[in-house]
Amino acid sequence: MAAMLDYDRLTEDEKLEHFMERINRGEKIEADDWMPDDYRISLIRLISMHGISEIMGALPEKEWVPKAPSLHRKLAIMAKVQDEMGHGQLLLRVAEDLMAPLGKNREDIMQDLFSGKLKFHNVFHMSAPTWGDAGMIAWLVDGAAIISQSMMLDSSYGPYARALKRICAEEVFHAQHGESIILAMAEGTPEQRDMLQDSLNRWWTSLIMFFGPKSAKETGNSNADKNIMYKIRAKTNEELRQEFFTKYIPRIWSLGLTIPDETIRFDEQTQMWIYKDVDWNEFKQIVTGNGPESHNRLDLRRRSYDNNAWVRDALAAKRAI
Amino acid sequence: MSEAKNEFYNVYEVFSKKTDKSPFQHQFSLLAPNADMALIMAKENFFRREQVADIWVVKRENIRGLSQSEREMLKRLDKDYRETKGYGYLKKKWREYNQEQFTEQHILGGKGDAQ
Amino acid sequence: MTTPSEKGALIELLYQLADDDFILAYRGSEWLGLAPHIEEDVAFSSINQDMMGHANLYYRLLEQLGEGKADEIAHLRAPSKFRNAVLLEEVNGPGTYLEKPDYDWAFAVVRNYFYSVHKQIRLDSLRHSDFEPLAEAARKIMTEQYYHLMHWELWFKQLVTSTDEAKSRMNAAIEKVWRDFGGVLTLGPAYAEMVKANFIDDENVLKQRWMKRIEAVFNETGLPFSGEPRMERGNGRKGEHTPDLTQALATLSEVYATNPQTGW
Ligand SMILES: [Fe+2]
Ligand SMILES: [Fe+2]
Repeated sequence: MAAMLDYDRLTEDEKLEHFMERINRGEKIEADDWMPDDYRISLIRLISMHGISEIMGALPEKEWVPKAPSLHRKLAIMAKVQDEMGHGQLLLRVAEDLMAPLGKNREDIMQDLFSGKLKFHNVFHMSAPTWGDAGMIAWLVDGAAIISQSMMLDSSYGPYARALKRICAEEVFHAQHGESIILAMAEGTPEQRDMLQDSLNRWWTSLIMFFGPKSAKETGNSNADKNIMYKIRAKTNEELRQEFFTKYIPRIWSLGLTIPDETIRFDEQTQMWIYKDVDWNEFKQIVTGNGPESHNRLDLRRRSYDNNAWVRDALAAKRAI
Repeated sequence: MSEAKNEFYNVYEVFSKKTDKSPFQHQFSLLAPNADMALIMAKENFFRREQVADIWVVKRENIRGLSQSEREMLKRLDKDYRETKGYGYLKKKWREYNQEQFTEQHILGGKGDAQ
Repeated sequence: MTTPSEKGALIELLYQLADDDFILAYRGSEWLGLAPHIEEDVAFSSINQDMMGHANLYYRLLEQLGEGKADEIAHLRAPSKFRNAVLLEEVNGPGTYLEKPDYDWAFAVVRNYFYSVHKQIRLDSLRHSDFEPLAEAARKIMTEQYYHLMHWELWFKQLVTSTDEAKSRMNAAIEKVWRDFGGVLTLGPAYAEMVKANFIDDENVLKQRWMKRIEAVFNETGLPFSGEPRMERGNGRKGEHTPDLTQALATLSEVYATNPQTGW
């Protein structure tokens, strides 16, 4: 049995040691547990970025909500985009509780987004000019997201793991919604198939980028490694990307679609996919707010937040009647 | 102004029961300016698909939880005099009298819902 | 059932019910991602999905009455064939949902709240409709409608009793909605036939119920009640509409209209 601990009497070093023991035993850390600043900061960075990406990720698909080509599709995509807003809600709540001891709340998250301090996923900076993109996003962008989210289901941070559990349950619906759109188009007219292929061509590079650069050396950024040490996440960027290839490339090919990379192949010897790497400087440009739609999407978000400030002020000032 | 904004973002904890018979369970939390708003938002934020029979919202600041030190104290010593496992030898004893030991169900009279 | 003129009146009524929900749900869906608060965004979206689902139920009834496939009915009719009230097609504010949407939350709350009150009253009447499939649909819809009304009533009451800024925005929105809400309350030219066949209650009875309920809420929250709402920009029940509807339908059918024959 573990010795009883009076936390208030421990030194910082003892607290850290106890903390790492808990992590290594596979215990879950809760919001008001003692945690090293390093752990807290890593979590805030990861989860606020994840949360705000869900919110910003609603915007490209939302463009297709009113335009969806049947009553059934209209309802399904509305529900799907709503889920993404809901994922943002769950994740921002987790991030906000971590930030509370630093005197910050959702207002600060929004302001950090508007000032460019808080970044969101590269894919949501890209344009989605056809209905094919609505399908492609739900099929492959969500597909990529499912892979990276489900590897954190056992995250050492309890509230994050619980949020992800709710999220992943809904992702199953998203995946099927995406597959259904894609299959209808793949089995449709030549125009529909072309639309699908164009869309795949448009999204392929972004999908490779989605998982992030290969190793610490390329970016001078070792967040991923630290997150593995703290058991926040379980796999590296490249491991996730390879999983994505294994899961989706055979399906893409089975529909007769062409991946816009002539070099891509599975190497039996290394048991790895060989592929054309992307320009990671371009990636950096995109996530720092210089993607094709970065400006427009941030403007939508900022405008709605500012236009509605009076609503929040009104309710903040009143007691419930 | 920014003070007023902080008044808008209150944390509410959301609890629900799945069916009439089930106990309340914590689900998640949300931000809302007051309890009425928290309630209408809770329904769509957490129960879009799941079945739900009732919902509570509680302002987090009204919950007194344990501190970490206090939680550590919960890891208590064995007290077998409180538990059935302290009475494992009874089975063998009753055998000596050609009797079976009562199961929990027998003891409770098989009347279902025990308190 | 029914004589040809009764059937005509029934079809008119179903188009009104379907188009009201369809167009307002569309306007609501434009708000997705843009609501004042993330939690509210999620809640609002459920309401819009429900409403579009209700429209879908009515379109299916029309399909059964030989009006064509539900998707065709929803996506391919000319604006003059739509029977929704003009107020419900009005844009959410300056800008579009894709660019510079300066949407007005006060207008969203007032329009949705007043509409919810009316919808509740209308469903209460339709529950006893002599056209049984409609009565059955109404009973299904009512359970969801209960929460919509609760949602919008809460927003309405809280905002009209809060800050001066909120009050003045809400008052402006009430005035704006009042100018055209008469168009929601009317049943249009086939009204006498609908009532005679017992499809729905007299529009004057429904209107009085609505006014009584709204007046009570106005009294409770200290708002001045200014008599009957007007119908200034035309009667949608007669197919009179604004360019806002033309734009809405172009958006709604943009993809479907490229090829209605294929599967999507
Ligand atoms: Fe998501
Ligand atoms: Fe998703």
